[in-house]
Amino acid sequence: MKLATIGVGNAGSKLIDRMLEFEQETGRDLCRHVLVINTARTDLAKPDHVPEDRRVLIGDTHQKAKGHGVGGDGEVGAEVAKNDIDEIRRVFDDVEIHEVDAILVAAGLGGGTGSGAGPVVIDELQKMYDEPVYGLGVLPGEYEGGRPALNAARSLQSFVTKVDNFIAFDNDAWRSRGQTVEEGYEEMNRELATRIVTLLAAGEVDESDVGENAMDSSDIMRTLDTGGVSSIGYASTDLDKPEGLLSKYKKKDDDEINSMDAAKIKGLVRRAVNSRLTIPCEVSSADRALIIFAGPSSMISRKGIESAREWLEQEADTVEVLAGDDPREDSDTLAAVVLLSNVTETPRIKEIQNQAVDAQNKIKELDAVREEEIASLITDDDNELDPIV
Amino acid sequence: MKLALLGVGNAGTRIVDQLLAAESQTDRPLTEGNVLAFNTTPSAFADTTHIDGERQVVIGDIHPDVTRPEDIADRSGEDRREGVAGDPELGVEVARDDLPEIRRSLDMVDDTEVDAAMIVAGLGGGTGCGLGAVLLEELASIYEIPIYVLGVLPTSEESDQRAWTAARAVRTFVPLADAVFPVDTESWLASTESDGYGELNRAIATRLVSLFGSGERESTAISELRMDPNDLKRTLDVGGLATVGYAETELDDVSEGWYRRLRRLLGFDVPDPEPQTDAVSIKNLVQRAVDSKLTLQCDIETADRVLLVLSGPPKELSRKGFETGRYLLEDETGTVEILAGDEPLPEASRITATILLSNVTGVPRIEALQRRAVEFQREQDDLSATDPDALSADTTLSAEDDQSSEDDPSSEDDPSTGDEQPPSDDHGFDFQDAELVDQSDVEGESAPSEDESGKDETEEEPTPTDDNAAADDTIDDDTAADDTAATESESTADESAAENEPQKQ
Repeated sequence: MKLATIGVGNAGSKLIDRMLEFEQETGRDLCRHVLVINTARTDLAKPDHVPEDRRVLIGDTHQKAKGHGVGGDGEVGAEVAKNDIDEIRRVFDDVEIHEVDAILVAAGLGGGTGSGAGPVVIDELQKMYDEPVYGLGVLPGEYEGGRPALNAARSLQSFVTKVDNFIAFDNDAWRSRGQTVEEGYEEMNRELATRIVTLLAAGEVDESDVGENAMDSSDIMRTLDTGGVSSIGYASTDLDKPEGLLSKYKKKDDDEINSMDAAKIKGLVRRAVNSRLTIPCEVSSADRALIIFAGPSSMISRKGIESAREWLEQEADTVEVLAGDDPREDSDTLAAVVLLSNVTETPRIKEIQNQAVDAQNKIKELDAVREEEIASLITDDDNELDPIV
Repeated sequence: MKLALLGVGNAGTRIVDQLLAAESQTDRPLTEGNVLAFNTTPSAFADTTHIDGERQVVIGDIHPDVTRPEDIADRSGEDRREGVAGDPELGVEVARDDLPEIRRSLDMVDDTEVDAAMIVAGLGGGTGCGLGAVLLEELASIYEIPIYVLGVLPTSEESDQRAWTAARAVRTFVPLADAVFPVDTESWLASTESDGYGELNRAIATRLVSLFGSGERESTAISELRMDPNDLKRTLDVGGLATVGYAETELDDVSEGWYRRLRRLLGFDVPDPEPQTDAVSIKNLVQRAVDSKLTLQCDIETADRVLLVLSGPPKELSRKGFETGRYLLEDETGTVEILAGDEPLPEASRITATILLSNVTGVPRIEALQRRAVEFQREQDDLSATDPDALSADTTLSAEDDQSSEDDPSSEDDPSTGDEQPPSDDHGFDFQDAELVDQSDVEGESAPSEDESGKDETEEEPTPTDDNAAADDTIDDDTAADDTAATESESTADESAAENEPQKQ
């Protein structure tokens, strides 16, 4: 697949940056167009792989933003994006849309810019183009607290109704004890970039001799066609790279032996589904599913693909399961990536919504008494003391 | 966040000076030179080392009521009270008179270069409160950026008048400013033995620079969750009183041995030293900042919004500790409006946690201050009602009033306190305070006292609350007088009838 990718806000921009890094490292060519949009000038300086002229600062003339972010307030984020919509539209003009199959908008939903400006950008894209627009959204972890949960719960509604499919990523799933703040986010972004690029880059190699099992862009798009929220599973295994001339000869002879047997292929898919999904969900609630094996085609047996597909058909309780490969002859790993499209049972989203409702109530309570409490604090009991001016 | 700092009065000037010193020490460009200090006497600038001469602005030194240094050259010690001598009303007056001068000096501050302005003032002082209030009004009308006030509260050792001034300053500043940071001097001085003020000023400087200077330092490391100026602004957006907590953890100086350094130089892969902190110690650091002595002690459960900045070497900032710490804040303060960020400083020798609690409403110190101020004001009212000096300058009406109040048993003590000193006047300043109040009463300037100040109202304070307060007083006094009249004798009632006649004439 060929993509136009747009990162909105700090988290979205870093994700896009990591996707670019991963595709460069693995010789993929997924992101044909790149754009990052932010309200904070300093955050725009962070990406390593996004060209300078593909970074857009919005809201620098907005009274509340002035190029210094939106203070974690989704409403300000949306307002700023609406005000600068002409600016955003102008940058889209450069995107030669006939060159891409779809548009991907990545954003963190807990912050102000991603949650607020993200849906505004998507609205505009849907107006301008016929191509599907996918969302890639990072959901805040429980420990990020009530405000991010409220931003996310509200933004999730906008995202899911506006995009053609929303791929969710749960921050909590990648939390671990040893990490520093820096490593934590870095690792999460890499993990997510690996999954999303491995999934969507399949079928992009049109010129090479396409095997009969090869996955096509249209298959991926068909699976995503359901709308709703999707989750991605991933597992990979290192291949013993034969070294030296001699072993190369050997390899040719032993091709059949090196090729993974069906059980191993199936095991890899089972691992992909049962290990950390980008958002934990009930696999059986998936509407459609898709498996892609990325690695040297010699390693992937037709039989293995078929047995993995059958297994997932059972697990996901749907007949709409596609499976195929993405031949990467130079790769020293074999990866299985599983897309579970339109999963409806995601406990994490329920939790975020509950946390958000609590947060909204608390915020309303505070708003209601704020002025009164300040006045009573600064005034003595009988209002005998006067202001000086 | 870039901040223009405007020191007002003695205390304000000193703290701004201290903040500038902290700014240069920590290498966080906070003000970009946008600094001014205002005073009613040049001597207040004597100890400043970081404020340029042209940015030291003397206001009102030609006003007849302002005491110049040469006026009191022959006096010494506690009698040396220059400037407006603790009178906030005079502070307001001279500032209003010199408004063109204030405006001119504000040209030296570029409000497009900074994200906010902060007035720093001692709230108990005549200059800090009076000039501060006028400056605040002025800034609020010309700047689009938020205006914050750092206001030092007087201790219980200081005079009642200063408490009264500070209570009124809080009442005045809070509605005008975007947020007020009162400094609870007393709780800070209580714990230190010597050089209390020096330590207090340094503590304030550390906290404010850690908070507002976060993200301003040139750093090679990239912050994952940088605190933008708008994060601070949004937190303070709710107005009211704000307070800052702070805690730090010193890191051991792990110097690499020569062998390791050599190996690294030769290109060997030398593992980095193990981090000295983990999730638990980071969480505990945040907890310590919550429990630390805040710039204003308060019930943290009354906080409206909260902001946390964690600074230190990136390898020491545990993500889990950071997130758990943030969650802990939500738990302890009961608000969900919490913003948290990191500030990676690879070379730092300590980790610091700075917390901003905005719009805290459970503040015992403010209530105590108000009680003391009300008491003082009532005392002054009684005093001026019975003070012979004040009466001599007034009409016969007051003289008769005086008589009638003699009939009132509750006020029998007053003449004696009036002649001597109020009971609380046990140290130097108060003698003068009493004098000053008397003086201003003569001019018809001062606070509402009794009937004639309500009726003769020619003051320049037409604020509704003022009138109400005065009216309330009048009503109360009248009813009290009426009650006495009714229970005592007809003659008192006659007197009060006669009382009105001279006024009509």
